[in-house]
Amino acid sequence: MTQFRAGREVMVVGVGLHPFGRFPEQSLSDLARDAVVEALRDSGIPWSAIPIAYFGHVYYHGMSVGETTLAQLGLTGVPIINVENACSSGSTAFWQAYWGITSGVFDAALAFGAEKVPGGPVTVTAENSPARYIGGDHMMAGYALRMTRYMSETGAPASALAQVTVKARQNAALNPYAHRKETYSVEDVLNSRLIADPLTLYQCCPTSEGAAAAVLCAADALDSFGVDRSRAIRIAAASLTSGSYNGRGSDHSAFSPYRTEPAGLQAYEMAGIGPEDVDIVQVHDAATIGELQQVEALHLLPYGEAWQATMEGRTSLTGDIPVNTDGGLLAMGHPFGASGIRMVHETVTQLRGEAGARQVDNPRVGVAQCSGAGDVTTVHILTK
Amino acid sequence: MPVSVDDRCLRLTGEGGDAGVLLGMRCSGCGVVVFGPATFCQSCTAPDLAEVELGAAGVLYSYTIVRVPPAGWPGAVPYVLGEVELPEGPHVLAEVIDCEHGDLTIGMPVSLALQAVAMDGGAETERVVYKWRPA
Repeated sequence: MTQFRAGREVMVVGVGLHPFGRFPEQSLSDLARDAVVEALRDSGIPWSAIPIAYFGHVYYHGMSVGETTLAQLGLTGVPIINVENACSSGSTAFWQAYWGITSGVFDAALAFGAEKVPGGPVTVTAENSPARYIGGDHMMAGYALRMTRYMSETGAPASALAQVTVKARQNAALNPYAHRKETYSVEDVLNSRLIADPLTLYQCCPTSEGAAAAVLCAADALDSFGVDRSRAIRIAAASLTSGSYNGRGSDHSAFSPYRTEPAGLQAYEMAGIGPEDVDIVQVHDAATIGELQQVEALHLLPYGEAWQATMEGRTSLTGDIPVNTDGGLLAMGHPFGASGIRMVHETVTQLRGEAGARQVDNPRVGVAQCSGAGDVTTVHILTK
Repeated sequence: MPVSVDDRCLRLTGEGGDAGVLLGMRCSGCGVVVFGPATFCQSCTAPDLAEVELGAAGVLYSYTIVRVPPAGWPGAVPYVLGEVELPEGPHVLAEVIDCEHGDLTIGMPVSLALQAVAMDGGAETERVVYKWRPA
C-alpha cells in the first residue's frame, strides 16, 4: 500500500454548497459555479488568486466542464483538472488539492464537484457490456447482497437498518441544503416499496443534483492570502485507495466494505490519532447498510455492533459518536461529484461551530469517508 | 449457432447452447484462480496465467430479489441475483432461476444453468447466459 508523506500543513479555509435536489432549469455548470462562489466568499480569497483547481464529476456533460464552469468567474489561465473517480470523484478532487499544497507546489487550491444523476438504478459498466445480460450491475443490489450477509452474521433486525434512515431524515430536517427533509418512522421506512430485498426505497439514497466546493490553503500562507485564521480547519490526514485482491471480487461480505479499513488506518496513522479521538463522522451511506459497515470498518464501533449503537441513539446528533450529521447520502441525496466535498463542508461547518440547529456539542476531530466503484475509498481527517 | 454472452467467461461446448463451462485463469506463481479473463494475476501481479475450466457447482454466498431492475435488463422482474462461491475460490454473480424466494438461504448448493437471452433488438442479440439454479 502506498505510504503518503505529507509536507507542510494544509487548512480548509472556505466551503460552499449548492442545495441538493432536482434543478431541471439549471446546468451542471450553474450548480458548480454557485458552490464555488460561496466557498471563495467564505474563504476571503478571490478567484484571481487561486493557483489551481480540481473538479470532480462522473456523467458526461461535454468536455472540460471544470474549465467552462470556472470561465464564468474569469479566465485566469491556471491549471484546471477534471477528475472522475466514481462516487468518490469529489473527495478525490479534494485529496488532489491537499497533496498539491502539502507537497509544496501550490500555496492554495480550489476543489469542487457537481453532478446531475439520472433517475433509476445506478449502473457502473458501459451500455454494451455483457453485464447487462447478467443483471449484476446494480448498485443497490450490491448493497442488498452485503445487507443479507450482515443481517445473517450479526442478527441485526430490519428495524435497526431502518433506524439509519430515520436518523438521517431527522438530521436533514435541520439542514436547508438537504434533498429530502421529510421525517419518517421505522415503519414508514420498512413499508416503502422494495428495491432489492431487503432494501426498501427509503433505505437507498436518492439520485440527486447538487454541487460542493472547498478552498484549501497552506498554513504558512494564510497571512499572505489574508485568511481569517480563527475559521481555518486543519487537514490532519488525506488517504485514498483502490481495490486490492480479496479472493471474492466485488466485496459483499458483512465486514469489509470496499477499502475503508486500510484507508482509515492509514489516515489515523497520518494524523497521529486513533478512532477514540474522533468526535463526528461522515460516511458513505448510499444505503443504510453502508453506514453501519463504514462506521465499523473505521473502528469507531466494534464489528457487528453498529446496528445496536444506532438503535441506542449513539450515532444521533446527541450521541457519543454522531454519524452523518447533515443527513448523509440517504437524505442529502448523492450527486457523485459533489458528495465527498459535501462531507468536508459538513465537517468544517461542525468544527467551526456553525451548524446551527444540528450543531454537535463542541466537536474537535471529524472524519469524512467516501466510497466509489473500483473499490475507491477516501478518508479525510479534519481537526479544529 | 448460439453465442456466449462473454466467451472469456463462458465457453459453450455443444451446438444447442445448453451445455458449457465457466472459465477462469490460474496464476502459475501463487495459484490464485480468478473468474473470467486476466492478463496479470489479480493477487500477485505475475504474468504467467493459464486458463482453467471451473466446476459447475457452488454455494450461495449471498442473494437479493431485485424488484427494480437496471436499465436494459432483458429478463422478468422480480429476479433473484445470487453471489455464488466456487470451490476453486472465485465468486460468480448471476441470476438464480427455478427457485422459490422463500427457500433461498446462504450456503445452499447451486449448479450452473444456461439460458438463451435476447435483448429488444431481437434474434441477433441473443446470447447464452450463465445462471444458477438450486442443486
